[in-house]
Amino acid sequence: MSSSESPGAHVFDGIRIADFAWVGVGPNATMQMAFHGAEVIRVESSHRPDTFRSGGPRPAGDGSLDASAYFAKFNRGKRSVAINLAHPRGAEVAKRLIATADIVTESFAPGFMERIGLSYEEVRRIKPDVIMCSMSMEGQTGPHAGFRGFGLTLQATAGVTGVTGWPDRPPVGTGVAYTDWVATHIGIIGILSALDHRRRTGEGQYIDLSQFEASTLVLDAGVIDAANTGRVAGPLGNRDLRYAPHGVYPCADDHTGGDRWIAIAVTNDDQWRCLAQIMDRQDWLESDALCDAAGRLAAQDALDEGITAWTSQQTVDEVERTLQAVGVPAHRASNVRDAHEDPQLAHRNHWWTSDHPVIGELSYESPPWRLSDTPPPMPRRSPLLGEDSEYVNRELCGYSQEEFQQLMVEGVVE
Amino acid sequence: MSQETNGALSPYQVIDLTAEIGGLSTMVLAGLGADVVRVERPGGHPTRKRGPMVREDNDSSLYWAQMNAGKRSITLDLDDDIDRERLGALCESADFLFESDAPGAMASRGLGYGDLRERAPQLIYVSITPFGQTGPKSMWAASDLIGHVSGGLSSLVGDPDRAPLRPSVEQAYNITALNAGSAAMIALHARHLTGRGQHVDVSMQAAMANTLGNARLYYEMDGIITERAGGARAFANRATRIIYPCSDGYVAFVRVPASMIRLHKWMTAEGADPQFDAERWAGIAIAGDNLPSDDEIAKLESEIEGFFAAHGAQALYESGQHFNVMICPVNTMQDIVDSPQLNARSFFEEVDDPALGLLKVPGAPLKMSATPWRTRPAPMPGQHNDEYLSRSPSQRELPKAERVLPDTGLAPT
Repeated sequence: MSSSESPGAHVFDGIRIADFAWVGVGPNATMQMAFHGAEVIRVESSHRPDTFRSGGPRPAGDGSLDASAYFAKFNRGKRSVAINLAHPRGAEVAKRLIATADIVTESFAPGFMERIGLSYEEVRRIKPDVIMCSMSMEGQTGPHAGFRGFGLTLQATAGVTGVTGWPDRPPVGTGVAYTDWVATHIGIIGILSALDHRRRTGEGQYIDLSQFEASTLVLDAGVIDAANTGRVAGPLGNRDLRYAPHGVYPCADDHTGGDRWIAIAVTNDDQWRCLAQIMDRQDWLESDALCDAAGRLAAQDALDEGITAWTSQQTVDEVERTLQAVGVPAHRASNVRDAHEDPQLAHRNHWWTSDHPVIGELSYESPPWRLSDTPPPMPRRSPLLGEDSEYVNRELCGYSQEEFQQLMVEGVVE
Repeated sequence: MSQETNGALSPYQVIDLTAEIGGLSTMVLAGLGADVVRVERPGGHPTRKRGPMVREDNDSSLYWAQMNAGKRSITLDLDDDIDRERLGALCESADFLFESDAPGAMASRGLGYGDLRERAPQLIYVSITPFGQTGPKSMWAASDLIGHVSGGLSSLVGDPDRAPLRPSVEQAYNITALNAGSAAMIALHARHLTGRGQHVDVSMQAAMANTLGNARLYYEMDGIITERAGGARAFANRATRIIYPCSDGYVAFVRVPASMIRLHKWMTAEGADPQFDAERWAGIAIAGDNLPSDDEIAKLESEIEGFFAAHGAQALYESGQHFNVMICPVNTMQDIVDSPQLNARSFFEEVDDPALGLLKVPGAPLKMSATPWRTRPAPMPGQHNDEYLSRSPSQRELPKAERVLPDTGLAPT
C-alpha cells in the first residue's frame, strides 16, 4: 500500500462532504471518496443512530454504538460529528457545516430534510455551487416517494428477489441487502460526474437518486423484455437460458465444516468436450445431440444427474483443480471462510486490516479495483460517534469554545 | 464529436471494447453524456445475437438494445494490422478505454496498457476481468456464475436443502460493470491531479466479495460461517424470515422491532384481530442473544402469514406502507413495467431504435437537475464509421455502416 504521500491520497483534496446519509448506500459511496482524500463528515446522533451502529458483529458483551464492525466497514476514512437534527438548533449547526461543504448527501425518507429546513433550495442558498445527492428508496416524487424499506426488502420491489430461487419453489431473494451494492455505484458515478461538471462550469446541482430505479439496471434485459414483448423472466435455479450444463453440484465432505459445492458453467463446445473427457464419458463425447448448446439444454436433467454423481465422489479441491486445468469454468461455491482465505483475493490484498479502539483489529473490504498510479493509502479507522464534534464545531462551523460548550449543554451536539 | 448534449460527462470520449462483463459500465457513462464508441468486429458484436429478441428472428436483441443505449458504433477487426493502428490512433485522443479480455490478450495485439501508456498518456485504461490482471486465478476460466460463487455470495443464497444459488439474470457481470464505472470516475478525478491516465484493474470476484454484508465479518470476528437460509436473512447463526406468500404472489417483510407496533395497528385496521403482543415483540431484536423460542417465532410468523395470505401483493404494499410498515411486493418484471411509482416519474421512455423501431426502455437511473441523463437508442454496427475513422492513417477503403447482420456463427463471448 502506498504512503499518504502517494497522489492517491490527494485525489479529492479540498473536497468536503457533509454526509447525512446512513446505513449502506450513501456511506459506502462517500467512503470511496474518503479513501482518496475527501473530508467526509458523517452527521450522526445518538438519538437516532445509524442502524448499522446497532448491528453486528461486535466484541462480546459490548452493546455500545461504537462497537459495531458493520458500521466500521462502511465508514473508514471519515469523521463523525454528532448533531441532534431534531433539536430546534440542530439545523443551525448543520447549516454552518453545509456552508463549508462541496457535497451534501442524505438518505432520509423524502420530506425530512425539508422539515428541518435543509431542503436543496435552502442548502443552495447557503452554498450556491453545492452538489446535493438524495438517495431514497423510490425517489423524491411520485405516489410511493415516502415508502420505506432497505436493501433486504427493496430487492423484492426491484425485481431481484423474484428471479432468485428454484422454479418449483417460492423465490428466496439474495439474503443480503443486495440493492445496496447497485445503488451505491450509481451514487458514486452521479456525484463524481456532477463534481466534474462543477469543476468545469462552477455549477452545482441536485441529484434525486431512487434506489429502486438504479437497481433495475442490473436486471440485464429483463425489464426491457417485459416492456416490449410481455415476456416475464422467472427463477431458473442455477440454470441458464444459453448454456448447459450450468449448475452448482455437491462435492464429498472435505471435513472443513459445512456442505461443499462446485459451480460448473460450460459456455462453449470446447469446454463441453473437455468436461466429458475429464469425466471419462465416452457416451457424451460420441453423442451428436450433445455437441451443441441446444442439444445440451434439452438434455440438462440427465447431464446434471451425471455430473452430480461424478462430483459427489470427489472433494471440491479436486474437482476445481481438475476442471480449471483444462479450461472449464469451475469454482467452489465459496462460503465466507473461503472468501476470507481466498488466495486470489489475498494476492490482491483485498481485505484491509484496520485497528479500532473498541472493535480491535479486524479486516474489511477494499475496493474491487486497483489503480496503477494513484492507489489510496490505508484508510483511517472509522470514527467513534461524535469523535470529531469539537473539530467540526470549532474549526469548520466557527463556534467559539464557549458557544460549543453551550451547544453541548443544550444537547444540540454531542 | 458531438457536443449537443449538456450531460455531465459530455467532454469525454470512451472506447468500449467490452464483452458481457463490462457493457453496463459504459452504458451508464453514455447516459451521462460521454461519447461512448462501441468497437465491434466486422459483422457486429457477438452480443447482438444474444436474447431476448423482440422479434422472431435472431437479429433483434433487446439485450443489445439495453446494454448499448446511447453508444455509437464503429467496426474494426483487431486481428488486422491496419485496424489495430486505427484503434491506436483513436486512443490518442480518447479519455477512457474499457476492455474485458483475458489478462495479456490486449497486449498480444499491441494494445495493452503498456503499449498505449506512452502513446496515449491521458488514457484511463479500464480492464474488467473475472479475477483481476495478476494472481493465482487470473487465468482461470469463468462466467457470471463463477463470479457469484467465487466471491462467496451464493453461499448466502438459496434453500438450505438445495444448492447455493445465483439470481437468474447476470448479476455478477452487471455489479462488476458498475464498480468499473465508479473506478473510472475516480481515475478521471485523479487525472485532474496528475495530468495522466492510468490502468484500472477491476475484479469480478472482488466486486462480488463486497456484497457479503456483515457475514464475512462474523466469520473473522466470531468464527461463524453464515449459511443460506432460503427466503430469510441469516444474521450470523440465526435467520429471520423475509418472504411470505400472499393471495397473488409473495411479499417481503422483515420483523424488525420498530415495525411490530405498526404491524399490529395495520392488522387491526384491516380487521385481522392480531393476537401477538406488539409491545413485547417491539422490544425483541431479530438477532443476538435472548431471542424467543423457535415455537414462539413460528407462532408469530404463522399469524403474519395468515394475514398476508388474505391480500394481494400490491394492495399489501400500498396499505402496509401507509402504516409505515416496511413491506415490499416481490415484483415480476411486468410489475416493474406497470409500477405506478416508476410511471409517475416517467422512468420509461420511448426510443426509435435504428434496427428495432420504437422501443419502450428503462430511462434515467438517477435524476440530475443541471445535467440530465439522456436516453438514446443503441447503434447499428459501424453506424459511425465515417465520423470516427475518416482520419484513418490507412488508404484502405473504410467499411460502410452495415444494415444487415450476417450470422457470424460465433458463440457469444
